[in-house]
Amino acid sequence: MKKIIFILILVVAAAIGAVAIWQSSPQWDDEVKVQPAKIKDVKELAQLCTVEVYEDMPMKGRVGTRHIFARITMRGTISFDLDKMEIVESGDTLKVTLPKETVEVLEATTPDAYQVIDTWNEKFLGSDNMTAAEENKLKKMASERFKNRIYNKGYVTRAREEAAANLQSILSTMTGKTVVVTSDRREKRGERR
Amino acid sequence: MNRKLSYFLIGVVAVLAGACSDRDAETGQEIYTEVKSVNKLVLSQMTISKMASLDELTLDKAQGAKQILQALGNTLKIGSRKAAYSYDTYMRAYMDFSGFAPDDVKVSGNTVTLTLPAIQTEFAGRDVTINEEHYRVTGIRSAVSASERAEIKEKIAEALKAEVENNSTFKEQLVSTAEAKARAYFTSLLTADEGIENVVVRFKNSND
Repeated sequence: MKKIIFILILVVAAAIGAVAIWQSSPQWDDEVKVQPAKIKDVKELAQLCTVEVYEDMPMKGRVGTRHIFARITMRGTISFDLDKMEIVESGDTLKVTLPKETVEVLEATTPDAYQVIDTWNEKFLGSDNMTAAEENKLKKMASERFKNRIYNKGYVTRAREEAAANLQSILSTMTGKTVVVTSDRREKRGERR
Repeated sequence: MNRKLSYFLIGVVAVLAGACSDRDAETGQEIYTEVKSVNKLVLSQMTISKMASLDELTLDKAQGAKQILQALGNTLKIGSRKAAYSYDTYMRAYMDFSGFAPDDVKVSGNTVTLTLPAIQTEFAGRDVTINEEHYRVTGIRSAVSASERAEIKEKIAEALKAEVENNSTFKEQLVSTAEAKARAYFTSLLTADEGIENVVVRFKNSND
């Protein structure tokens, strides 16, 4: 009799467990409706871009006992705002001061630029779910790490040198004058401000 | 019986713990890096916003046996599962100055004729984050997971690329803004020289 009761309890528990899992199972076939695109704004720029960095980077983070491991393809561009460029004419020479760099970091638009590889909870049977806000916070941190690497690996210094050479070539071709491009000393070293 | 069950549970926990320690293995800071030198003058940028909503599959929209089964299952499940997400994508128009040569500049008296490189467009990238516009998961329905949000982001990206390909408005608006900026910028730059009064700006075709 005891054995039958024990088996019955097991069967009922298994049935409850199965229903709970089914009810909360992810909806991979749920309908995703994509709305038409809206143009938010169009702005004019004059930015000389000399270095582009593409990086496939792992994103590993945690919120409490919940963890996420993902892969992101980032795109970083280093450019110089020519509207802020200072030009001083001295006889047949143009003295140009290169403005401070703009380092823009975005997620690439290549297919599967963001892939979640694994999510888990340290606690046995704990939920591994992260809210969009929690995930965004971790992604912002990853993007900041990528930006720091752009500075630390010397890409900004390289971009500045190439911008000086490119500007010198473009402006001397257009004006027929001798062009000298200079940078602020601190900016020349590619330090982040 | 109880002792056997205890041994079985200890075994399962040990296997799971082993799997977790593998997952914790440290990884490097980057998997792949590519650094490209370019000579692009970016003249305009467009911010495009796109939204997608996640809704339960209903019987009238289900196709195929698997989806019909899921739609039937959805009607039996307790609660609702609806969400909407959006993010911005950036397109830009630029000129590649790497082929710019002295032949592209003609000076005649006080007039300079500039033939600038063709204006091209590209996707600069998209927001790293995603905006949660709406979220309503009730009853005992599962929360929207990070993997699902990544899938939604991917679907938005695919749809946007198709939309930009099929609707020339996006590129036309971006290119016309870029042309206006290029004209204004180079006219202002060259007329700063006292000997130059007129600047004629032309653009090469992208097929040149």
